[in-house]
Formats: sequence, C-alpha cells, structure tokens
Amino acid sequence: MSVFAPRADVRDEPLTTATGLPSHEDRSVRDRRRRNGGRRIGSHVFLVILAIYFIIPIWWLAVAATKDTSGLFGSPAFWFDDHFAFFENLAGLFTQQGGIYWRWLANSFLYAFAGGIGATILAILAGYGFAKYRFRGRGAVFTIILGSVMVPLTALVIPTFMLLSQYGIINTPWAVILPSLLSPFGVYLMRVYTQDAVPDEMLEAARIDGAGELRTFFQVALPLLKPAIVTVLLLSIVGTWNNFFLPLAVLTDETLLPVTVGLNRWTALSNAGAGGEQVWNLITTGAFVSVLPLILSFLFLQRYWQGGLSIGSIK
Amino acid sequence: MTTHTTLSAPPAPAAPSRRSHPEGGSKLERRRQRWGWLFVTPFLVVFALFLVFPLFYAFGMSLFTSTLATGTRFTGFDNYAKAFTDPLFLEGLGRVAAYALVMIPAQLIVALAAALVLDTLATRLSRLSRLLIFAPYAIPVVIGALMWSFLYSPRFGPSATLFDVVGLPAPDFLAADSVFGSLVNIVTWQWSGYYMVVIYAALRSIDPAVYEAARIDGANGWQTATRIKVPMISSSMVMVITFALIGTLQFFTEPVVLRNIAQGAIDAAYTPNMYAYSLAFSYSQFNYASAIAFSLGILVFAGSYVFLFLTRKQSGLK
Amino acid sequence: MKSKLLAASGVVAVAAAALTGCSTGPAEASCTNEILQPDATQVSVWAWYPAFEQVVDLFNETHDEVQICWTNAGQGNDEYTKFSTAVESGSGAPDVIMLESEVLSSFSIRDALVDLTEFGANDVKGDYTEGAWKDVSSGDAVYAIPVDGGPMGMLYRKDILDQYGIAVPTTWDEFAAAAQALKDAGAPGVLADFPTNGRAYNQALFAQAGSVPFAYDNAEPTSIGIDVNDDGSKQVLSYWDDLVKKGLVATDDAFTADYNTKLVDGSYAIYVAAAWGPGYLGGLSDADTDAEWKAAPVPQWDAANPVQINWGGSTFAVTSQAKDKEAAAVVAKEVFGTEEAWKIGIEEAALFPLWKPILESDYFRDLEYPFFGGQQINKDVFLEAAGGYTGFTFSPFQNYAYDQLTEQLYAMVQGEKSSDQALDDLQASLEAYATEQGFTIE
Repeated sequence: MSVFAPRADVRDEPLTTATGLPSHEDRSVRDRRRRNGGRRIGSHVFLVILAIYFIIPIWWLAVAATKDTSGLFGSPAFWFDDHFAFFENLAGLFTQQGGIYWRWLANSFLYAFAGGIGATILAILAGYGFAKYRFRGRGAVFTIILGSVMVPLTALVIPTFMLLSQYGIINTPWAVILPSLLSPFGVYLMRVYTQDAVPDEMLEAARIDGAGELRTFFQVALPLLKPAIVTVLLLSIVGTWNNFFLPLAVLTDETLLPVTVGLNRWTALSNAGAGGEQVWNLITTGAFVSVLPLILSFLFLQRYWQGGLSIGSIK
Repeated sequence: MTTHTTLSAPPAPAAPSRRSHPEGGSKLERRRQRWGWLFVTPFLVVFALFLVFPLFYAFGMSLFTSTLATGTRFTGFDNYAKAFTDPLFLEGLGRVAAYALVMIPAQLIVALAAALVLDTLATRLSRLSRLLIFAPYAIPVVIGALMWSFLYSPRFGPSATLFDVVGLPAPDFLAADSVFGSLVNIVTWQWSGYYMVVIYAALRSIDPAVYEAARIDGANGWQTATRIKVPMISSSMVMVITFALIGTLQFFTEPVVLRNIAQGAIDAAYTPNMYAYSLAFSYSQFNYASAIAFSLGILVFAGSYVFLFLTRKQSGLK
Repeated sequence: MKSKLLAASGVVAVAAAALTGCSTGPAEASCTNEILQPDATQVSVWAWYPAFEQVVDLFNETHDEVQICWTNAGQGNDEYTKFSTAVESGSGAPDVIMLESEVLSSFSIRDALVDLTEFGANDVKGDYTEGAWKDVSSGDAVYAIPVDGGPMGMLYRKDILDQYGIAVPTTWDEFAAAAQALKDAGAPGVLADFPTNGRAYNQALFAQAGSVPFAYDNAEPTSIGIDVNDDGSKQVLSYWDDLVKKGLVATDDAFTADYNTKLVDGSYAIYVAAAWGPGYLGGLSDADTDAEWKAAPVPQWDAANPVQINWGGSTFAVTSQAKDKEAAAVVAKEVFGTEEAWKIGIEEAALFPLWKPILESDYFRDLEYPFFGGQQINKDVFLEAAGGYTGFTFSPFQNYAYDQLTEQLYAMVQGEKSSDQALDDLQASLEAYATEQGFTIE
C-alpha cells in the first residue's frame, strides 16, 4: 500500500479515489528528502516517543487482560505475570452472569451497525439534498443542523427519556438506535463532498435523458460518493459504538446494555465489592476484547480514514 | 456518459437555475428544487424528533422552578438569572476555560508536530507510528478513562515502580492540585491522534510545487513548515480548534469516570456539564439542570461564534 | 456495488433491530429470572442483592398468585438515577424497588413511594427492630419494608495488633493511643482509614456522639430541622482531624480498588465496619493469608453508656407507578420474609437481617464465620449493635447533604479549614440549600 496516491488538484477536480490521499511527490523531491538523513533520525525518534506514549495504556490493557485478579494487583503493571490467565479470563467472560458479556458485545455491534448505517443513509440523502438543490430555507436549516453539535447532551437526556417512554420504546434497542441516527457532522461531510464530487452537468445530463430525480440520485450521484460514504459510515459506527451516556440513561435491562455500559457496571460492582463480586480480571479482559474490533478495523481500513477526514479539512 | 454532456450543456459549468432549459421555464426548476426537501426530510424528521423537540421541551422545563418542598411553578427566566450568578456554575465555567487554554494548545501542538513530521517521512516506521498515534480514537472514552484511572492508581499503576527507579516519591495524580494535569493528559492522549489525522490529510493536499518554489528560494525544513505549511492548512486548524473548543467547554465523561476514584478532588459540580448532570440525577432538580445546560449551550455557541469570527480570514468560511 | 451492499446490510441491520425490539416487548416482560406461573400477577422488582435470583425463585415457587419479575438496574446511585428519571417522566419505574434507607425521604417527598400502612405494613411491624422500623417510617406513614441493616462493629487484624503489642481498643481514647503506639512501633501501615467520602459512615460516627442532624417528617414535608454543627459532631470531627494531622490514620477514599487492597494487605489494622463488612472483606481477593481478622464492638466515647450506630441498610419500597399496589406490597413484605430466604441472604450475600425471626434465632446468633477463624461475630458484636440501634432520620436531600459533607471533609483534610469550620460551613450550605428549595427551617 503506497502512501503516495495519485493526487487530484483541489481546485479543478473532485476527489474520486478511494484513498483520497491527494498527494504524490516527484522523484527529485523524494531524493532530496532521502538525503536529509540526520534530521530524519531525529524525526523518527520523535515519532517513536509519541507512538509509545499513545500505545502505553493499550499495551497496559493487553498485558492486564492476561492476568487474573490477584496478578493484576500483585505483578508489575507493564509486564506479564507468571501465570498467563488470558484464556481463563476469556472462559470467565463466558460464565460470569451466564455469559452476558458476549450479549453486551453483540448489542454493541447491533447498535453500532444499525445506528451507523441508518445515520449514514440519512446523512447521504440530506447531504445530497443540501448540496444539489437550492430550496428556500436551505441555508437556515443547514446552519441549525450544524449548530446542534453545540447542544450539551445533558440538556437532552430527560426530554429524550420522556419521549421514548411515551412511545413505549424505552428500555428497548430502539431507544439507543433511533437517537443515534442523528449525525450532523455526517450531513456536513456529505454535503461538502457531494458539492465537489458530483458535477452538476452530469445531473443535468441525466435529467435531460429523462431520468427522475431519484433515479438520477441512485445511478449518477451515489457511485461518485463512495469514499465519503465509507468515511461517514465509519465515523457513525465508531460514534455509536463508543456511546455511553445515552444507553446508560435509557436502558435498564442488563441484557440490552452495550459493552461500554456493561463494563462500567462491573467496575461499579467491583469497587463496591460486596460478597466476592470483584471481577477486575474480567473487566480488563472484557475491555481489551471490546477494543479489538475497532483497532483491527482501523488497521485494515486506514486508507478510508485518511481519505475521508481530508474531505472536511480541505473545505 | 460524456456524450450526453456535449449535447446540451454550455461550455462553462453554471448553476442549473440560470440556464435556459429547452423543456420549460423556472417553474419546473422550482418544482425540481423542491426535491431537495424530499432528500433532506428523513434526516429532518429524526432531527426534529430527537433534537429539536427535546430541546424545546428542555427549554420549557427551564422556565419552571420545581423545589423539593413547594412543587412546580412558572418562573420565566429566573433560573437563568440564577445560573449566571451561581458560584458553582461560574467556577465550573472558569475551570473549563482554563482547561481549554491548556488542553487545546496541548492537543494541537502534539497533533501538528506529529503531522508535520509525518508529512516529511515516508517510511514504514512513520506509517506505523501514524496508526499507533491514531489508535486511542478507537477506544471508547469511558474505557480510556478507566485505563488511565488504573494507571494513576498509587497502588496498581506503574508510577510507584517507575519513580522508584529515579529515586523520587511517586506523585499523587489524583490530588486536588494534580488532577488538572491528569485530566489534560487523558484528553490529549485520547484526541490528539484524531486531530493529527485531520491535519495530516490537509498537509497532504498541498501542491508540491509550492515546496519546490520554497526550496528554490532557499527555505529550510523549519521555515517551510512554519511559513508555508501551517498557513496553508489554517482552515483545517480552525476546524480542529473549533471542535476541540466545543468539546472542552462541554467537558464531561473523563471527569465523571475519574471522579469514582477521586471524589475529593473532583466534586459534583467540577464542570458545568457535570453540574447539570448532578442537579438532574443526584438532586432531582431537573428544571434548574435544564437551565444550566442551556446556559452552557449559549456560552458554547457564543464562544465558537466569536472564535470563528476572529479567525474568519484563516478559516475561509462565509 | 458498494451502495447496494450498504443498502442491503442496512435493511438487515434494521430488520434485526426491529425483531429484537419486538421480541423484548414492554419492559416488564424481560425478567432476569424465570416466571413459573405465567397467569399470575407480575410484579417488577429492581434490586441488586448478590444471589438475589435464588431468593426470587424461592418466592415464585411459593406464591401462585404473584410472581416476581426481577431486573438488576444498577447499584446504588446508578439505580437511583434511573428511578429518579422514571419518577420525573412519569413512567418506567418498577413496581417494587430496593432503596437504601437513607434515600427513602428523597423519594417520598416526590410522591414516588406508596404509604404501606394501607397495605398491611403494620402487620409485619413486630417482625423488625425498633431502629429498623423507624428508618422506614416518617410520622405515621411507612414507606418501605426493612431488609438488611448495617449495625457497626470494629473488625481488627489480631495478628498486627499482637505483633506490635497493642491492646484492642474499647474507647476512642484507647483508639487514639493505639494509633500512636502503632506508629511509634514503626509499623508500615496505620491503624485505620478516615475516608472523606465515607458519607453514611462519617454520619454514623457523628451520630454516636449524639448528633441528630436532621428533623424531618413526611407529614409536614415543607419544614426541616438542620443541626450538623452540633457539639457531638464537632467533638468527633476534631478527634479525627487530630489523628489525620498526626499522620496516625490514612485519608484514602473508600470503595476504590486502592482502598480495597489496603483493607486486606495490612495497610489498615482496623476497619470500623458495618455488619456487611465481613462479606465485603471476604470477597476481596489478594487477601493476606496470614491475616487474622476478629470482630469487636465499636469503640465508645463513654464506656459506661455505649451508643450503637448503623451504616447503611436497604429496604423494599412500593412505587407509586405500580399497577397492582396490593400485589407489590405482598412482594415487599414477603420476599425476605421467610427463614429460607434469609439463609440464602446470610450465607450467599452476607446480608445482616433485620427480620427478627431470623435475627433472634439461635442459628444466626451462633453462626460461626470462617473468615474470622470461626468467631461468632453476631453473638459477640453485631446483635447487640443491632438491638441498641434506635434509628436515624435522613433529610429529603440526602445525596446533596452527603456531597457537601464530602467536600467539607476533604477541605479539612487538605488543611484548608479547621474541623469546626468545616461543620459550620456545612451547616450554612445545607441551610441555604433547604431555604432555596422552599423548606422552612425549624
């Protein structure tokens, strides 16, 4: 995988590549840079130090997941204990409370994908609407949508709870999924990208050919929006996966909790510690297992991350 | 597809509504433009249901006062007057402002420095570093704060052993005067990677011809970085700072999680958002909590607006 | 094509969500336990007792007309937050809820709890100690049925005290002397911890010196008496402040991982604890295997006039959102109303019963606790503590009061103010809050 992907000149063409990394260097510049050996070592050392700083807690988590509870409190923080307990801990995750951890993990997947995909669909449609149509009130509505990111969540919790209660969907998966369908930033990204990536001429041409608006959208515009779609999808999925406060407030049934709230509950349990319910080893292992999907997806989907985040930044 | 475009489109791209259309006049145009509403409606429905409506409801709640002893009555903007003279709210505001002044530059410097360095390197090590620096974004904030609370623990964290090596007593990360730095650390760790990727992407979009010109003019690496790269990505930086500002003024999750192990150092009203939460959920004062949350929202909006206004040249907005 | 894949997966995900959502149905239908009589009236219960499922199963097996549908909605404040939100929004609350006695008036003042005297509460009054009943009553109304309590005693590390030749203290003066002796002998740990976030624990210590911080009766809900800076409290606090300043006690926050470890590894030689303390200790891993724990009565200010104190304790209340209040009352009265249920509660959950038939039974009195080397701690310590406890009145804003107490104690421990000042400031802030909330202060 090359870092240097074909670059699009920002002013003339839309970003049409999946990577979206719009830079490539010409050979002479690359040669010159290779000659600055000394500075490169310094730069690398700097990067390595930074990388270590960012990795330390994750390393700690990985190591902690291999220890049992007494090992956690007895052995040094950053290296393994004599007793390698990872598989025991995993087994513990299956037995604690009847394996509810895996239910939590499944819930997280469900909410993240349902919420993420739904949010993306809404964002694609809305972004296209804002970008390619000029209707009255467009500016005002868009500004309101953008402004909504500034609303503190705490203001919304009680009314949202009441609303969900009224409709009888409190304490169901819908209570988490429906509010997660909102992604103002997703709408913003899609609008910005659509404006650049979908030329008006193509839409015009399709209309002249007799295509209706919806068909134009699906067959002309949508294929061009792929990179942004992937980005918004990833951002929405991560956002919903990491959501904590909303499920904490609207879910009571333990079997409906996502893994963030579930682990938090185990932590509260272990802190209060009544009657042999300290499950620190399960918390660390559970936390480790729960971050694996995202970290692995980051690893394998790097290009989309970089590409997408560039869209918003260029504009 | 290209054959279609040559049929009817004029040479230069122009807004559809201004072109004369062979099929009809502006009435058709207007009808078509209203399709915009159709596309936007699904999002707007959810938006109205789960944001606008609750917001109005919350605002309505903030206009009433409900005391434990005397029940609910309409009091108009009294709650807001109370909020802006409430020492706990104002203290919390001062605190998040202090956090903003420290955390935003910290995150920005780390993100910018990393992005600039990465922009000049193309090795596998640099690519690996980029991924590792971004990794904390994959960790939910709650779990990240949990991990750090372990690491900060005087017993279980590495601080005791690490500082032993140097021969110094281990600092208490959770004491009243050190908890500020501890929280700054957690947030910097959590978010710098994300900002770095945004800035890096912006850097990558700079036309290399510019660097060529600079090299010809004799600029060295440092000058290139500070006088060319940074100004050219100023719009991204403004966006990063705006989001960081909004997030910091609404500081909530990390102090709440850390509070579990530092109840003395972090009190219930540590940040305005925490204050709103405590008022609602610990003390059952939902109306006043709404007023506090709205007051915070107003200030966040004002702050962001002022910031964007001051940087309008750099951000290229409006 | 990617968008088709997206669309397809979107449909699948939403469908899956819909199916899951539909199958769980209304909240009552999703119980953690099994319903044995599907036609009976179902009563939803929120509780976090360990091993509670066994108690629920026992109830369901023995009651044909009423079945419990139990969920663990979180511990302590987590559950109270949910309950508070449900009360505010008018729906979502369970029929019966486990509440610690300290928060009962915070909810009864919001009309969230049903007065159980109409549902036969007084029929079971005789089954509970005087102190326990007082905690769930407000004037003539009874808002909950007591379940377990926290009479206090002193758990100590016999091996550590023996090692340094320290006698087991019986009065607070002896306690201070012991703390000094321990330090002088060069022990690595301290005698005990003084947690600024002790909340009910700190309150109990003050109560032992005669402090009656709140006077409140739900029959007159708008007036309240506040007296937190009385002489008794000041005496107690200045005593502990002195110990803190001399470095004779630690000031670690309670109920954290650090605290738990220090409890068991000898960093604290004494743990002034409630009757559920032993269960708590026993559950902590990484215990020192040489540790020898014993229980003794809590130190007294005046050996001739011992005062018993209580820390914590929970109850079952019926919420005003309950559909069938009669059935809910039956559950509240009877779920922990049998010997068999209590055997589970005592042996699996380490609860201290307030239900007299088991409290006064030989079984309980003579129970030997292996954790204490077979000591009969109930006979030695906790029965007397429970019997001597006369009850306590909490404020209807107890959460706020505790948060303020924590803040003041923390400031004191940091050296920012004297103990007297801390209590005076606490009094001022509570009075201000009460006035602001529309109470008249007696």
